Amino acid sequence: MFKITQKSILVFSLPLIFFGMALFFLYACKEPNASNHSGENLPDQVDFNFHIKPILVQKCYLCHGPDPSSREAGLRLDRYEDAIALLESGNKAIVPGKPSRSELLKRIHHNDPEIRMPPPSSNLELNEEELALLQKWIKQGANYEPHWAFVPPDPKILDTQKELPPSKAIDRLISNAWKGKVNSPSGRASDEALIRRLSFLLTGLPPSEEELEKAKNGTFNYEDWVDHYLDSPAYGERWARHWMDVVRYAETKGHEFDYIIQGAWKYRDYLIKAFRENVPYDQLLKEHIAGDLLNAPREDAQGMVQSHYGTMFWAMGEGTHSPVDLRKDESDRIDNMIDVVSKSFQGITVACAKCHDHKFDPVPTTDYYALYGILEGTRFTPEVDGKQQAQLQDLDRAQHLRKEIRQKFAEHWGNIADKKADFQLTSLEESQDQVMEILGDFRGQTLYGWKSDGLAFGPLTVLGEPVFAQGKLKTLEEGRASSAYFGKGRFGALRSADFVTDKDFIGVRARGKTGTIRIVMDNFQLIRYPIYGGLEQKVDTEDWKDLVFDVSDWKGRKAYIEVFPGIYKNHQYIQTQEDEVEVQFAMAFDGEWQTPPHPRDRKKRTMSEILDRWAAYQASAYEVSQLNKWLREEELERDFPELEGLTQKINELESPHSDTLTFFSGVTDGFARESPVFIRGNHLELSEEVVERRFLPEISGTGTIIESKGSGRKELAEAMLDPRNPLTARVMVNRIWHHLFGRGIVETVDNFGLQGKLPSHPELLDYLALLFVQEDWSIKTLIRHIVMSEAFQRSSTLLEENKEWDATGVLLTHYPIRRLESEAIRDAILMVSGNLDTLSYGPSVPIHLTDFMQGRGRPSKNGPIDGNGRRSVYLEVRRNFLSHFLRTFDFPTPFTTFGNRDVTNVPDQSLLLMNDPFIIRQAEIMAEGLLGDKEATWEDRVQKIYKRAFARLPTERELHAAGEFIHSRTQDNGVDALEVWKSYCHTIFNMKEFIYLL
Amino acid sequence: MSQNGKPHGLYTPMSRREMLEVCRCGFGAIAFMGMFGGSLGACKPGDSRPPLSETTSKGWPKTPHHIPRAKNVIFLYMDGGVSQVDSFDPKPRLAKENGQDPKFKVDATQFNDNGKILMSPWTFKKYGECGMDVSELFPNIASCADDLALIRSMVSNFPEHTNANYFLHTGSGLQGRPSMGSWVNYGLGTENSNLPGYVVLDGGLVPPGGIDNFKNGFLPANYQATIMKAGAEPVANINPYETERDPQREKLEFLKQVEQERFASQGSSGEVEAAIANYELAYRMQSSVPELTEFQAESKATKSLYGLYDDDPHTRNYGSQCLMARRLIERGVRFVELTCPQVDPSIDRWDQHNNLKDGHARNAHAVDKPIAGLLKDLKSRGLLEETLVVWTGEFGRTPFAQGSNGRDHNPSAFSMWMAGAGIRGGTIYGQTDEYGYRVVENPVSIHDLHATLLHLLGIDHQRLTYHFGGRDFRLTDVHGHVIKSILA
Repeated sequence: MFKITQKSILVFSLPLIFFGMALFFLYACKEPNASNHSGENLPDQVDFNFHIKPILVQKCYLCHGPDPSSREAGLRLDRYEDAIALLESGNKAIVPGKPSRSELLKRIHHNDPEIRMPPPSSNLELNEEELALLQKWIKQGANYEPHWAFVPPDPKILDTQKELPPSKAIDRLISNAWKGKVNSPSGRASDEALIRRLSFLLTGLPPSEEELEKAKNGTFNYEDWVDHYLDSPAYGERWARHWMDVVRYAETKGHEFDYIIQGAWKYRDYLIKAFRENVPYDQLLKEHIAGDLLNAPREDAQGMVQSHYGTMFWAMGEGTHSPVDLRKDESDRIDNMIDVVSKSFQGITVACAKCHDHKFDPVPTTDYYALYGILEGTRFTPEVDGKQQAQLQDLDRAQHLRKEIRQKFAEHWGNIADKKADFQLTSLEESQDQVMEILGDFRGQTLYGWKSDGLAFGPLTVLGEPVFAQGKLKTLEEGRASSAYFGKGRFGALRSADFVTDKDFIGVRARGKTGTIRIVMDNFQLIRYPIYGGLEQKVDTEDWKDLVFDVSDWKGRKAYIEVFPGIYKNHQYIQTQEDEVEVQFAMAFDGEWQTPPHPRDRKKRTMSEILDRWAAYQASAYEVSQLNKWLREEELERDFPELEGLTQKINELESPHSDTLTFFSGVTDGFARESPVFIRGNHLELSEEVVERRFLPEISGTGTIIESKGSGRKELAEAMLDPRNPLTARVMVNRIWHHLFGRGIVETVDNFGLQGKLPSHPELLDYLALLFVQEDWSIKTLIRHIVMSEAFQRSSTLLEENKEWDATGVLLTHYPIRRLESEAIRDAILMVSGNLDTLSYGPSVPIHLTDFMQGRGRPSKNGPIDGNGRRSVYLEVRRNFLSHFLRTFDFPTPFTTFGNRDVTNVPDQSLLLMNDPFIIRQAEIMAEGLLGDKEATWEDRVQKIYKRAFARLPTERELHAAGEFIHSRTQDNGVDALEVWKSYCHTIFNMKEFIYLL
Repeated sequence: MSQNGKPHGLYTPMSRREMLEVCRCGFGAIAFMGMFGGSLGACKPGDSRPPLSETTSKGWPKTPHHIPRAKNVIFLYMDGGVSQVDSFDPKPRLAKENGQDPKFKVDATQFNDNGKILMSPWTFKKYGECGMDVSELFPNIASCADDLALIRSMVSNFPEHTNANYFLHTGSGLQGRPSMGSWVNYGLGTENSNLPGYVVLDGGLVPPGGIDNFKNGFLPANYQATIMKAGAEPVANINPYETERDPQREKLEFLKQVEQERFASQGSSGEVEAAIANYELAYRMQSSVPELTEFQAESKATKSLYGLYDDDPHTRNYGSQCLMARRLIERGVRFVELTCPQVDPSIDRWDQHNNLKDGHARNAHAVDKPIAGLLKDLKSRGLLEETLVVWTGEFGRTPFAQGSNGRDHNPSAFSMWMAGAGIRGGTIYGQTDEYGYRVVENPVSIHDLHATLLHLLGIDHQRLTYHFGGRDFRLTDVHGHVIKSILA
């Protein structure tokens, strides 16, 4: 048992909080059963964050924490002012400096079980050591400090390490923790071990024979190999997959029929590309949260927009087949989004605050519903792949030219118009007593406040658009919203504001071939029979048709209407170049259909005024009809000299870009929404007040209220990237560290809250977080620094002398051994057998279904057992039919953030490696390849196998054992060579060195 | 201090670090450990956490929270939702008002095609000393009435299959939570290290929601169900690939030799050693599973009891599953679930949205005799005393018609029963209204069912927790009460 000496504690001269952290760290590293009753081993200065809070959180907060709903005896121990306050009983829980007068201490080991705290029934008794710590802490003044993770890193740390290159600084910060314990760490690993380690951790594949050959021939330069692997395309595949665990990546929606999430694989490709190109993390974060809202979307080299793929992050959740209660369904979906977004980027479990204030972290329920509003104002949508930026610019110019045409005509007609007498203008139809509610009227010039998403519907209705025949103006268009505003073949949706259904029917007058109109209630997307089928109607007629939606079953629902020039088939959006849809108006009514009257306009206007208004896109439907009448009646000029040039130019701008008309599931902005609190999480019991949108004011460092007219996602991303945010950078650098060392500096990578684990090297974590931001959030640069450290290059053999201190590897005196992830194991098998197809990108390889993978939504066609030799990241991820191989080796169920996978040891794994036909076949392919070289001796072959599988040559004894195995079979049984080598290769896949990283 | 992924339950699953500690005892010790959530009793991890309890010779749960009544559970899952008013909850008023519009408020349903009151096509009779009313659908089960505790006041939170399935299996309506069989094994471990502790006998129909109904969720993978099927390969990858010319045993010997040398020189890693030892277990499993599926040792009388000679192939199929369930629990498998057989491609489980009469009759015929056989066989062997048998669907059905001759989903009331260990036979608990539409007395939630099930196994449902993603999770979330009235 070791004892903390004062010397070992007082080696740092760091800011106070780090002093505390470092001190805790040393303290925490003792053997687990070290007893500490006497108090002589207690730290000199008890630190609230590292010594006291873990006790309070685990043993006291359930009843005496931030959540008032479960608070007992009015006592709150999470805040200083409450903890020292006079209680009803006349006592004080804590009297700073006076342990003997603090009721808290008296109660902890009280003889009377009725009085003892925590109550014996809770099984939370404090041990002697914890009691001693509390005593000492109270004696020292019962100092409270904010939770370490909610205090931003101190920028001074960067200065203290300034003179060292980052990899050396990392080593220094690691070795600081050894003082008094570790004299020397394990030595450097062998070149072979290092190249295997680098290769697997940076690319997810074993080093190739060629790479090994090269490393052997040249003088081994580690740094070159680091760059080699960081630049390798396989790097992107490996690191994208890590992130896919965080965002619960899946290609289907699970639930009853496991519907496809359209284009989910494009998100995977987007990630792979982004990691390969080293897109900065802050950019990725913005793209995930609000990639559809960026002022300057990121494009790839071909001009294809990339940033909006990030928003598929929101669309990766489960989807319910025909939920009876839509509001509840929506609240479940949004709950998952809140859970995942807060864990992914902030390492905070906000979803715990759905029903009550967070029991441990400063996240009141209102913070949860502040985020809820943001997501309620976010709408799901198909998104189109393509070069929208370039298109947008051209179409914008085309729109200017259209305006110019109107202006020219207005100029030419101006003189004649001036001579016209005044008109008394009113609408033709007098307004009746309206029983209907107009939801959208597109007979005027504007889109009535509806959102035109994408490019199809343009900025306005087509009212007053000149129609030409043989280069001459024929007439002006009547008002309607048209998906062919700039011509057909473009994707876009037109969506209303949210409204509440209070009438029996919704009516829409529409035409076109072929389009879709949907009533979206409570953001529910999987519209289908038996319940909701009537909420979606196809538009398939050249004449105007009055479509009626019966919504009488859903009065009081939040809803919006959406119009698309295409159709949904099995919840996949499909659009062809010819598809088109147009809408005149939408309204809600009871009883008989009613056509809404035109809006009244009693202003007197001269013809020249009307003309000006038309040229400025301000004319009313009636005014345009007056113009048309005038056009019919008078000899007006039907063209002008520049007209042909202008129309040609417009054609040039509009025609070359048609959309790809391939789609994926993304999100778009609806309208601002502020949510009430659901009392105890119950969607049927709402608070009267709504909650303003903002982002975790007690944690994020910014409490700004979001005033956006849209969802507020952009502001959410900004809050996460605010320099005052204490978590964003820390959480990501910790994830990277976790992947490189098998354990995060904070072991609970998805939870930095009060219940998370404390950082093993707090100062290192903060140094890396600050460095990461300073170096423009460059993931590759950070990985490079870390793998260049000595710590990363150490041998995995634990030195005898360090066993006492570092058996668990937390101190990093040696490199921790770990099992490879499921993907790395499968990919290695394919690569070693010579069957790996390194093709990048594209639709996923259909999943291979075993007989044990049954149930609804099972694909009718089975996928190839070897996944066509593609890397595992390209295998389809079906929620209800996850790959048997990958699951067996702990591939996570994609329902929430899994930053830290399990590593289990179950017989299914052995059974799979022993008996699965995939493995057997790969062994056979490998044997065939080896036997292809007729010149090779058996020793050559064994050596080749060892190099491929283990990145090293066999030892004498291994070679000998292999020889015996091979020869005994050949001689005794007369088995043919292929069978023997297949059998031997099969054993190789079953060796632990094959699936472990040393 | 709590650690992510560390249990607060009775029994500690193996993390890498614990494995390291365990493996101070070396190869031999590991080979004897049950990897399927088995006991670590042979070699305790350090003293850093509360001591693990010892396994008694009889294999009762280790340090239960209280004295357990049940050792094993057989869960007879009536997938799709059996109609309560046609099986265990007679409602004469339906006959009186047959064909009339419902006089009560009707909730939205899955198909929302709600029609007239529909009387039951079956008559009810009183059975046993307790006088339990059971319909003609289940004459054999009814003959065991005095062993059953019938609950007529079950309620679920979900009217959709998938949510309701997840809810029944995991206590949450969403995908990704651990199944009750996983929780039980996490809490208690298994008694047979050659077999998994949680087995699903796949009768042919995987419930909506898929195999996630049987998964470990956020619990370590060793707690997930192993699915067993009829046929040549009852468990995935269980049949040795090797041929006579390529014997498996030789390969394993070779592997062991090479591996031990390799890692002896590397310096020991407990984790790697454990992974090597895992092969022994897998090897043994290869022989214990086929032994299990051999019914040769069973007498003709026993087989007949289970309906293995019945004319109906689906009765034979389900009978085999029931017999297999008994063989599994005999061998110490903690939790066995049986899924339903597919009696006809046109009949979707118990989910009779139409043709109630035909569908329910054929389903009932498939399961009635085997279930009664199972109860009687368990009883005669003294196994019913330590085995809890649970029979339930995920929800009930409406007393009014969907279309003309079907019934839609009804989560507001349904019937279930339990029998065996710790159950007071002949009990009838709870009551529905005159239509069997809603519960009017002693409602029992799925959480209550879970709490009771755990209680019988010696576990306090409030104390069996697992820390994941910043929260201590329970099977019963923050709900659940033990239904004391049905306990012996």
